[in-house]
Amino acid sequence: MRIGLVCPYRWDVPGGVQYHVRDLAGTLRGMGHHVEVLTPAQHEESVTDPHLTFAGRTVPVPYNGSMASAQFGPVSAARVRRWLREGRFDVVHVHEPSSPSVSLLVCMIARGPIVATFHTATTRSKVLAVLGPMVRPWMERIAGRIAVSDFARRVQVEHLGGDAVIIPNGVHVGFFAAGPTLAGRPRGDGPPTIGFVGRFDEPRKGLPVLLQAMRSVVRAHPDARLLIAGRGDADQLWSMVGDDLRPHVTLLGEVSEADKAALLRSVDVYCAPNLLGESFGVILIEAMAAGAPVVASDLDAFVRVLDDGAAGVVVRRDDPVALGRALSDLLADPGRRADLAARGSRVAARYDWQVIARRILAVYETVLPPGGGVVTAGPEHDFPGVPPTGTAAGRPRIRRPRR
Amino acid sequence: MIPEAWPWLAAGVLLLLVIWLGWTLVRLRRLAARVDRAWATLDAQLQRRAGLAEELARQHPAALGSGARARLAAGAAGARAARDAGDRELAENALGHELRELPPDLPGVPAALRTDLAGTQTRVALARRFYNDAVRDTRELRGRRSCRWAGLHRRRPLPRYFDIDDRLGDLGAGVDVAGRRAS
Repeated sequence: MRIGLVCPYRWDVPGGVQYHVRDLAGTLRGMGHHVEVLTPAQHEESVTDPHLTFAGRTVPVPYNGSMASAQFGPVSAARVRRWLREGRFDVVHVHEPSSPSVSLLVCMIARGPIVATFHTATTRSKVLAVLGPMVRPWMERIAGRIAVSDFARRVQVEHLGGDAVIIPNGVHVGFFAAGPTLAGRPRGDGPPTIGFVGRFDEPRKGLPVLLQAMRSVVRAHPDARLLIAGRGDADQLWSMVGDDLRPHVTLLGEVSEADKAALLRSVDVYCAPNLLGESFGVILIEAMAAGAPVVASDLDAFVRVLDDGAAGVVVRRDDPVALGRALSDLLADPGRRADLAARGSRVAARYDWQVIARRILAVYETVLPPGGGVVTAGPEHDFPGVPPTGTAAGRPRIRRPRR
Repeated sequence: MIPEAWPWLAAGVLLLLVIWLGWTLVRLRRLAARVDRAWATLDAQLQRRAGLAEELARQHPAALGSGARARLAAGAAGARAARDAGDRELAENALGHELRELPPDLPGVPAALRTDLAGTQTRVALARRFYNDAVRDTRELRGRRSCRWAGLHRRRPLPRYFDIDDRLGDLGAGVDVAGRRAS
């Protein structure tokens, strides 16, 4: 199958959607499909892969609390049109098309089966509430909608008036399951270790709660260690840790994907003490794939990923006492750790890219017209040369946001 | 206002109205085509499912047991008959129920047929979701006051939702089941 993927965010900036598109493209190519990616980038030089097409630079605009890449105008439209004509795709798969990006542009121009994946999981969004009705006429062209999580689907239902099939994010399970461990720290050999990955200076990631819990863990397991990987201000972290915990904490700083996998393979327990705001929890799946038993706070997304608590220990959020007890108990019970690790691997296997990509392929096959046919670009004059400013049909429904 | 301006103003309003009418008609036509395509896919997958169920009942009676075999055959026949007349949703539901009741391993049934059946059930679920999506978009646009007043596509029947229990939750690895509970 010839598949065209469209990534709306800059390829050379790290981000979940970019990784998703990259991994999906790689997996589908491994299955023998022809995959091309159209994406904007900060620097044209960083788009080197022959299967990548540079869609132009983008104008950052605030969207949903982060910066989205707005991209419009005749030059971008011409690039999209050329990409569609030269690609001769059976299906075009756009990501996050509801923001004014190259994805929306593709929806406007392409003629043929379009599949869209929605990643946004903000439940209340003024921008989406305003933009939703405006982009509706082009959203109507999408034949199959996918949401990566139940939250993303809810955004669809509430703001864009559609429904979506839920196909979660994928993880390269094999990459995490087998490989080296951190130097000198094979799992189960030596002092018990707990792992934490994430921006440690963001309170919502919950590291302060974990540090608080760590004090009680250290009382039960005097040689317990906490490994922290991620970005953040180290000085601030050490002042948060305090002198009593300092010998028990190791800060690895920002690590590569390979080192993160090695860390997850080394730790005896992985802890996700997040307080709020996770829509999915890829890191939990990565930890389970690496065979680490997981202790996580009771966020909806986490509970769901952990199979309603069957594949990991779920603790009330922001409760250091309960977290400390759960960690101590788990460190003291190798049998339960092995049991959780085994369940975790089975859960992680469901999120392997091989499995996820097959499900996405099933979506492609469902939207293909029975007789076949390729996606083409619409006629030149059809494209509105300016950003969409609402349509007459949508007017009555547009509610202006009150300041 | 100077009197000469009125015709121009009227012409401008008229022009906008015509543009809007044309644009809405384009949207309606596109949606109608999408509904047709989605229905064709759903219909094809449902027929395929009935065909596979028939094949299973006919060629592998040993794997099913006589009671299940008869019910499955009846379900498949019912689904086929309902394609032309009768309550298709009801018939497809009955067949879907029989298929879900089958033992998971099905001894003696070739793996190809089992995979085919599982794949078809997944595709029925997907096709139904996408069809209902297209129907929802169409009904939304046609239900608008402006659209009704202009009488666009008035003579066409409104597309109907197709509701059967296909357990799309199984497809979502438990994610979707939770979603329905939460929303």
